[in-house]
Amino acid sequence: MADAEIDVTDTIDFDRSVLGVEVDVGSAEVTAEQIIAYSKALGETNPLHLDEEAAKAGPYGAVIAPPLFYNVLRVGAGPDPKVNFGTTGFDAGQHVEFFEPIKAGETIHARAKVHDVYAKTGRTGTMVFAVRRTTFSNQDGELKVVLDRINVRRDIRQ
Amino acid sequence: MTQVYFEDVSMGDEIGPMIKNPTREQLATFMGVWGGGPSRFNSDEVARSEGLTGVILPGHMSMALLTQLLTEWKGPSGRLKSMEVNFRRYLQPGDTLALKGVITDTEVVDGENRVTLDVYIENQKGERAQQGTAVVILPSK
Repeated sequence: MADAEIDVTDTIDFDRSVLGVEVDVGSAEVTAEQIIAYSKALGETNPLHLDEEAAKAGPYGAVIAPPLFYNVLRVGAGPDPKVNFGTTGFDAGQHVEFFEPIKAGETIHARAKVHDVYAKTGRTGTMVFAVRRTTFSNQDGELKVVLDRINVRRDIRQ
Repeated sequence: MTQVYFEDVSMGDEIGPMIKNPTREQLATFMGVWGGGPSRFNSDEVARSEGLTGVILPGHMSMALLTQLLTEWKGPSGRLKSMEVNFRRYLQPGDTLALKGVITDTEVVDGENRVTLDVYIENQKGERAQQGTAVVILPSK
């Protein structure tokens, strides 16, 4: 429970020099075929994601990607905070802010940084949270998505 | 698609459930777009070596399914502004996912009609595999 947790960040070994340092992690071209396959895999029904002809006549003039499409772009993860703790790590969730939709034909550029690393000790032991922030924009600098991806490390022997 | 308006919604309103049954074929298509080598998401062998019973859905695939609850509900003139989702349990092809939401706040901020919701995915055992919050902007009448 939150009120029983103690902040133990100071005791954790990780690379503090990378905190807040943003780097270019690459770019990816987006095709209509990719968006349509992704949308079918999710059982999407909106023609703006599935039908090139309908989408061309629609408000964006091209197929647009469903909101979470940025996850399948092959870009790098960015600086590694090298958290030296625990026996296992897992993807604990995402905090995401959406701006303009990603469209077929665009090239999406990504920049990433380690936004925060913090550790808490509570009833179930210590967990270390690493928050990596990635910002996605198109070739004209139009902002698409700001993503915080949260990775947790813990010691399952505790 | 019909349009829902800000004036039509209030705190406590429930949306959904939307039911999803992701298949192995859909997972394979999804992984074909994402790419990458053998993993717990595209190889039963790798998944079993990690103590799983077989392939699992990437967390962001399940979250993308949850997002559909909101994109279908908000209508063509609504906008999904933000989401915060915690991944609590993994989901597998063949699971039945019930996507649900409940409105926890409605307010006008900086001229935007903001609707805040709790959203979650319940599996067939009634467990919450993912849960979080979302903010949707709805048009006025």
